Amino acid sequence: MRLALWMYQGTAHHGVGRIANSMRGVHAVFHAPQGDDYVNPIFTMLERTPDFPRMTTSIVSGRDLAQGTVRLPETLRKVEARLHPDVIIVCASCSTILLQEDLERIARSAATRAEVLVYDANPYRMQEIRAADGLFDLLARRYARAQSLTPAPSVNILGPASLGFHNRSDLICLRRMLATLGVQVNVVAPQGASVGDLERLPAAWATIAPYRELGQGAARWLEEQFGVPALTDAPIGVQPTLGWLGRLVETLNDVGARNERRPAPLRMPPLTAFSLDGMSAPSAVPWFARTADMESYSTKRAFVFGDATHTVGMVKFLHDELGMQIAGAGTYLEYEAAWVAQQLAQYLPQDGAGPQLLVTDVFQQVAQRIAELSPELVCGTQMERHACRKLDLPCMVIAPPTHIENHLLSYRPILGFDGADTLADEVYTTATLGMEKHLIDMFGDAGLEYGETQGKGGVTEEERAGTNDGTQGAEGEAEHSRVNSSSSHPTTTSPVHPVWSGDALVMLKKVPFFVRGRVQKNVERYAAQHGYATITAEILIEAREALGG
Amino acid sequence: MAATILKEDGAYHSFCGLTCVGWLYQKIKDSFFLVLGTHTCAHLLQNVLGVMVFARPRFGVALIEEADLSKPQPDLAALIDEIVADHHPSVIFLLSSCTPEVMKVEFEGLARSLSRPDLPVLFVPASGLEYTFSQAEDSVLQALLPFCPMAAPDDRRVVFLGSVNDAIADDFRVEATRLGIPVAGFLPDNHFSALPPIGPATIVAPLQPYLAKVAGRLARERGATVLSSLFPFGPDGTRAFWEDLAAAMGIAVDLRERERQAWERLEPHLAILRGKRVLFTADNLMELPLARFLKNAGCTILECSSPYINRKFHARELAALDGVRIVEQPDFDRQVHDIDLLQPDLVISNLATTNPLVGRGVVAKWSTEFSFMPIHGWSGAATLAGMFTRPLQRHRRLDPLAHDPVWLAGMMS
Repeated sequence: MRLALWMYQGTAHHGVGRIANSMRGVHAVFHAPQGDDYVNPIFTMLERTPDFPRMTTSIVSGRDLAQGTVRLPETLRKVEARLHPDVIIVCASCSTILLQEDLERIARSAATRAEVLVYDANPYRMQEIRAADGLFDLLARRYARAQSLTPAPSVNILGPASLGFHNRSDLICLRRMLATLGVQVNVVAPQGASVGDLERLPAAWATIAPYRELGQGAARWLEEQFGVPALTDAPIGVQPTLGWLGRLVETLNDVGARNERRPAPLRMPPLTAFSLDGMSAPSAVPWFARTADMESYSTKRAFVFGDATHTVGMVKFLHDELGMQIAGAGTYLEYEAAWVAQQLAQYLPQDGAGPQLLVTDVFQQVAQRIAELSPELVCGTQMERHACRKLDLPCMVIAPPTHIENHLLSYRPILGFDGADTLADEVYTTATLGMEKHLIDMFGDAGLEYGETQGKGGVTEEERAGTNDGTQGAEGEAEHSRVNSSSSHPTTTSPVHPVWSGDALVMLKKVPFFVRGRVQKNVERYAAQHGYATITAEILIEAREALGG
Repeated sequence: MAATILKEDGAYHSFCGLTCVGWLYQKIKDSFFLVLGTHTCAHLLQNVLGVMVFARPRFGVALIEEADLSKPQPDLAALIDEIVADHHPSVIFLLSSCTPEVMKVEFEGLARSLSRPDLPVLFVPASGLEYTFSQAEDSVLQALLPFCPMAAPDDRRVVFLGSVNDAIADDFRVEATRLGIPVAGFLPDNHFSALPPIGPATIVAPLQPYLAKVAGRLARERGATVLSSLFPFGPDGTRAFWEDLAAAMGIAVDLRERERQAWERLEPHLAILRGKRVLFTADNLMELPLARFLKNAGCTILECSSPYINRKFHARELAALDGVRIVEQPDFDRQVHDIDLLQPDLVISNLATTNPLVGRGVVAKWSTEFSFMPIHGWSGAATLAGMFTRPLQRHRRLDPLAHDPVWLAGMMS
């Protein structure tokens, strides 16, 4: 038994709720104690849904258990009377699944007109992501019907979903690129899709399913069952987007070539057609990365942690398109570890046995790896952002789980050319700057020392924007100042701990505060490796020469 | 006057008892709150309270995973060691949740077996099968009860019941002193070691309306007198609370003028509240006193619903709400239907339902927020009133676009 402090994924029934809330005419009913209703506000708060999320908790109370009352049939009838859904998905919770009730039979007894599907989402065997993907897969298989292709080239877009990471913006971006190519969208699912839309899935010429976490199972099944080719790579970054566009055009033209009516093949328009104004480069990243300002990024090392899709996409983008170094990467999706490792084999630093991919859902282990690496940029989840605040390292959020701050109003896609621009901007504004940094490094006095007590930028916005708790701000501030008061003592230390002489300490103090912790640790490690018990001014200089900074 | 309390099916939106951890771990500073639960419990605390992200919070979930389901009694000894090493708590509260309840984990025995001479482990029933939101604070205080020293038979002092922050506690001490009321302490206090003595001469003055059971036990087991008054919210409640408490101590005080002045200071708020029609959907168990304050401030209460109502503990509030439609364990669907029909000026509702209600064109306010705001006593009256008037004023300022559905297009596919 372990002590859980933070979860990278929600529960199985949260995954079910995400699919139901994405779709039209689909409603989830949780056969669960009232407490399980907590997933509801995640939707109404983070996505600010102006209607009730498409899920209902059919309450099981202690008294119901004692008296043998089962409210599920009544709940199903009420849901039907109120909302008239086409399908109701029923699932148990972590507690009610232990009751081993025959939910199929109980649900049937409600005699609803709507189809009731009992989804066996065992919360002890699957979490949010697999429960969501599994349910979507099931729905696609259940409702897709063989039919002829649409007259004009069209695609399905599978994967965008309620509470997905920047999914709304990604969808806009994909639609824009498809419109530029002259390709129609057959069905988007699960976001906004009805059962009728799922029926029409096989009418598409191809399926785009950019996220490993949701929709690729259904896409592959459509390929096997109906011959609808699946494009399952994620166009993250400029080069991957160009490649993806090329493959999409080729795939659609292959389908067109088999079409009796011989439609005119698609042609790649000039790339400027993909820009927002139709005249510019579709992305500014290739030029941006070559500007003198960005040269300093060659020496910046990044650590990336998240789900499978965004971890892989981000590592490649940082390395291939921004010319950064990769200090390490990892994922909390254990079942995707092999794929991520294979994708990143050429990117991860070789560490004796081979590239080291961190695979864990224990956030402390991720924080520890980050502390050990002290990278110049961390790309992670909301949890890594917190860890990095404590370590005083710059961090940007590139994967779920998210915070309300990752659900912004403006167009911020991750995919496509527009996504490359969003990511590059985010990297640039997150990491420490170039020329400015030289000046500070050189003279060590830019009047920034106040930051030492205040923390980097005094960022406490997540507490301010906390979901509900009025006491949260104060708590966050307290935590923040407590952590920063000890931020010059990294959590990981070498077993032999050299002491600093007075003159060396004076010199160390001259190092700008925001790199001082790292310099201190590097010099200590150097001293320990070379058997110095005391770090004198001479050894500090020697270490800095040896370490190149 | 016996108010009519309608009882419905309990299909309302709120949180389970585990959420009380959010404020109690901060209140009792030498404590640790250990939930025996599942991924669901951890995900709940992480999302709803948004508090799990702090480095080493003084609470955590002992995670029941698949392999643990077949074990008769969970083994928590190693976790207790880990908690002791990391936090050195004076007391550990072991909270039940739905899954171990269904597994029929024997919590009393488990807590006893984990207790050490210097570190009691106290069982706190809090599962969502039985407890709603702040109700579990009642369970925590009941667990603390045996550790309150027995007061001498002639120790006639007041013990304030319910967790409040330090500023409010100071306020109540000062006010009591001013009125000549001797104070024995607060249950809970900031530290496990500082629990107040309670005996047959003690007057227990409840500050929070969700503590009926511990109040009953203090009367039964210690012979203490539980003050029956209004809860100290708003000028009306605060005056009744202090006058009744003083009377219980044999002191006659007249706070009519004080109350008048307090209302007078609220006039800018009252000008907004007068004539407003308000509906409470049920969530934080503070609905009765909050509705009573609004009624006395000039509002019409269309419905006051609460997850749990105790006729004895809430007697005075119920009497003050005479004529108001009061519902226990309401049905939220019926409420939405009524809201559509009645178009209240203000709805007080759970986090889950507030934005969707706003989406339907009513002004709605988070009920959860009342649990975390300093709204007690004379000094809290303005904050309390402001919590109702702010959403009303804000929506009035923003109104012009609200009624054209185009501004909601695409917000929910």
